Amino acid sequence: MNWLAGLIRSLMLLIVLLCASNHSYAQQRFPKPEFKTEYTQPVPEHPAPRSPALEFLDLAILVLVMSLTAWVAIRRRSRYGILILTIFSLFYFGFYKQGCICSVGSIQNVALALADPTYRLPLVALLVFLLPLIFSLFFGRVFCAAACPLGAIQDLIIFKPINLPVWLRKSLSILPWTYLGLAVLFATTGTDFIICRYDPFIGIYRLNGKFIMILLGIAFLLMGLFVARPYCRFICPYGALLSLTSRFSKWHLSIYPTSCVQCKLCTTACPFEAIDFPDSEQTKPEPRTQTRRFLTFAALIPVLIAVGMFIGSLSHVFLSRANSTVYLAELLIAHPELRSDPLNLDIQTFLASGQTLETLTEDAATIREKFRIGAMILGGFLGLVIGLTALNQLIFRRKEDYQANRADCYSCARCLDYCPVDKTIAHG
Amino acid sequence: MDRKKFITNVGRYSILGALLFITGQIFFKRRVSASGQYVWQIDPMKCTQCGRCATECIKTPSAVKCVHAYDLCGYCDLCGGYFKPNTMDLNTGAENQLCPTGAIQRKFVEEPFFEYAIDEKLCNGCGKCVKGCTSFGNGSLHLQIRHDLCDNCNQCAIARVCPSDAIKRVPIENPYLIKGAFTS
Amino acid sequence: MNKKVLYVFLILLAGLIAVLVYTDHRSTQLDKRPDNPYAYDISEFEKVDPAMIHYSETRNIRLGKDKARGISWFDNHIYLVTENNLQVISQEGQQESKMTLTGRPNCIQVVKSGIFIGFDNLVSLYNFEGQLIRSYLSESDSSHFTSVAFLEGLVAVADAGQRVLLLFNEDGTLIRKIYGKRESEDLHGFIVPSFYFDVAFTPDGELWVVNPGMHALENYTTDGNLRSHWAKPSMDISGFSGCCNPAHMAILPDGFFVTAEKGLVRVKEYKPSGELSSVVAPPSSFETGKTAPDLAVTSAGEILALDFDRNSIRIFEKKDQHGS
Repeated sequence: MNWLAGLIRSLMLLIVLLCASNHSYAQQRFPKPEFKTEYTQPVPEHPAPRSPALEFLDLAILVLVMSLTAWVAIRRRSRYGILILTIFSLFYFGFYKQGCICSVGSIQNVALALADPTYRLPLVALLVFLLPLIFSLFFGRVFCAAACPLGAIQDLIIFKPINLPVWLRKSLSILPWTYLGLAVLFATTGTDFIICRYDPFIGIYRLNGKFIMILLGIAFLLMGLFVARPYCRFICPYGALLSLTSRFSKWHLSIYPTSCVQCKLCTTACPFEAIDFPDSEQTKPEPRTQTRRFLTFAALIPVLIAVGMFIGSLSHVFLSRANSTVYLAELLIAHPELRSDPLNLDIQTFLASGQTLETLTEDAATIREKFRIGAMILGGFLGLVIGLTALNQLIFRRKEDYQANRADCYSCARCLDYCPVDKTIAHG
Repeated sequence: MDRKKFITNVGRYSILGALLFITGQIFFKRRVSASGQYVWQIDPMKCTQCGRCATECIKTPSAVKCVHAYDLCGYCDLCGGYFKPNTMDLNTGAENQLCPTGAIQRKFVEEPFFEYAIDEKLCNGCGKCVKGCTSFGNGSLHLQIRHDLCDNCNQCAIARVCPSDAIKRVPIENPYLIKGAFTS
Repeated sequence: MNKKVLYVFLILLAGLIAVLVYTDHRSTQLDKRPDNPYAYDISEFEKVDPAMIHYSETRNIRLGKDKARGISWFDNHIYLVTENNLQVISQEGQQESKMTLTGRPNCIQVVKSGIFIGFDNLVSLYNFEGQLIRSYLSESDSSHFTSVAFLEGLVAVADAGQRVLLLFNEDGTLIRKIYGKRESEDLHGFIVPSFYFDVAFTPDGELWVVNPGMHALENYTTDGNLRSHWAKPSMDISGFSGCCNPAHMAILPDGFFVTAEKGLVRVKEYKPSGELSSVVAPPSSFETGKTAPDLAVTSAGEILALDFDRNSIRIFEKKDQHGS
């Protein structure tokens, strides 16, 4: 009988809608006057939005900047060139375009497009998501080097960068993946676009913003004086994706053109600790212990995934509260006395809308279920990431020279200026 | 070396394949708008004049302005959106006006009709006049997002807190939803 | 710079960032959002101090499918015009007789001489047997008669279409057209933006007409001269809100005015001087933002309000001194 109930409900809705629309067609309270004098009614103007063609122009400029960065970093081998491009991006993508729409945030748009049938993803958003990833598959993280406005401001503010211990760097490396997972979870459930909301530098680029946001930006910049590119290294979710894709890049910035003289000047230059040390500096473990360690950790991965899924499912209630529908439902159920609070606009609007608490609770339950599944996937995914990161540390890779770590290196080309081999070649 | 290169190549093309798959899914499910952007729009029928358009917009002053649908206006002497409710003298004194910034210009047309025009440079999008007009008048005043001012954020800060979910993304072809165009 | 100090500084910054993010998230949750600094509380106007309400609704009569158009009371009977007929109803609500009309009536006034029914361009006078005695015709095609009043041989007809008050002799001849003039220089006449324009006689024989655009009630001599007037443009309970109110008016046997407004719907009683005497029915008694009820009064001082939205006759009686 469900279909019958549904039919009746639709009919009633139709009748209500007809009556409601009749009201708007009905006589106004105060009818429009018939003017006796020569009065011309003003025609208000409605200014048009920015032309969509300009968005594609911005995209073209992005491609141009990334291409130039790749050429400068790999072929031309000049820090100066990268610096010029970085400053350009600071002003164009930063202060002029005010950072919107950016590749970092586009993750959310793409995620929403996959999850929500009513959402239409603009082509520009899709391209701004794909292009830096595709470029990184061939040239490394050229987007981070000189195109991303978030990276540009952090890169230019580096003052006295410190070295962080390896264990700290590796543990913090889980944060970007966590942020990525949370951003996707919140975007697909229609809760919020948290990457956009907590973008620290947007207040600075807009030269305007809530006090908290400006303070956040200043905090990051202060941190950026001493810890190079803190957002890029430890928070940026797009950076997590780029660190993955960049590992498989066909070409990449290489520190020395022919052979390394082991002078370590490049490691002094690199503020991001993105240069790998060669073999001879590290103790080479025995193959058998290595294999045993590897197998142990490999076996540990499913356990980590399971634990992650478990923690995820435990936390889904907490996470779902970020969603306003869920929060409202919880609030009204837990505090029914708030219904009579005239100052709470959201509750009063809800009560006036005619929607019942039952339907709200149903919607909230649906969303919470999405959170449960999403949080479990997120937890398992993070368990996998932790396992793989630990495993990665254990794998011994034969390195003879100092090399840029493909995952971490932003192709900023600071090392190129320091490398003496380079200079020798340049000056014959 | 060869094995490493092989793995790198496999990895690269797998990732490209995954990206292609995601793109394909999006196109296949018809969730791409090829024409371009979406812009934010206020539905004046859902608006509850909560005042958040003035306080939450990331721009100062807000990109939301009051718009007047003259077709619906009654041109009343005692305008519900212009005058404070306890006004005795119907003149343009600042103490009589609802608008906190004095953005409504009252102009005499003919007895007893007055034209009320919004000066957008002064309007802060608070919706007080909209509330007055909707409650006591015809509801010809309503709030709209002005697209020469709006930055078109990925997630509208006002939409996030709108109590009646009146702000939605719409195709760029029809950015405004002006009253009068669809009522009467 | 001392490394330890730097580390502490960095840890503090990281903590600050976490606190800022949490604070921002919390401050936008539903129950923590700040109040509206631009709040305009209009519920003030729908609330009326109960001490000001001296009437209570004692009964109401539901009308059937016929949509009512106007109401009048005479000699213990209620006379109602609907879309196409005239109905006589007892005070208890029993339909006593019904008569079909040609044309769509706008208003009705029943006196000893008979039943005056106003249509768009004419007023028909019927006797109590239902026979048409006489018609009072408009000279123009764009007339829209909205109210009829009768006293001592004079028939006053309010024409909202032409914005004029017509005075006829009882025999049907047009004596005078009153356009309404003010004592001051700007002679603008009756301002009638919508089809609500009421006229009534006091028991003493004074001719009072509503000037809706000016939110005023005006008293004219039969010569067409303005004798007195009072105006109250205000959204406050003591005044008339919107652009054209009061929509309907009636006069009680003691000479007090009863007014009904549209938009912010309320029925009030005024002293002849224009001072608010009491509220008959506050906005909360009516559907919000809708039509003003048509009014009729009984010889006992009861007020009949014809509620168009609910299609019923609502009867209000003055509360006794102890507020029953």
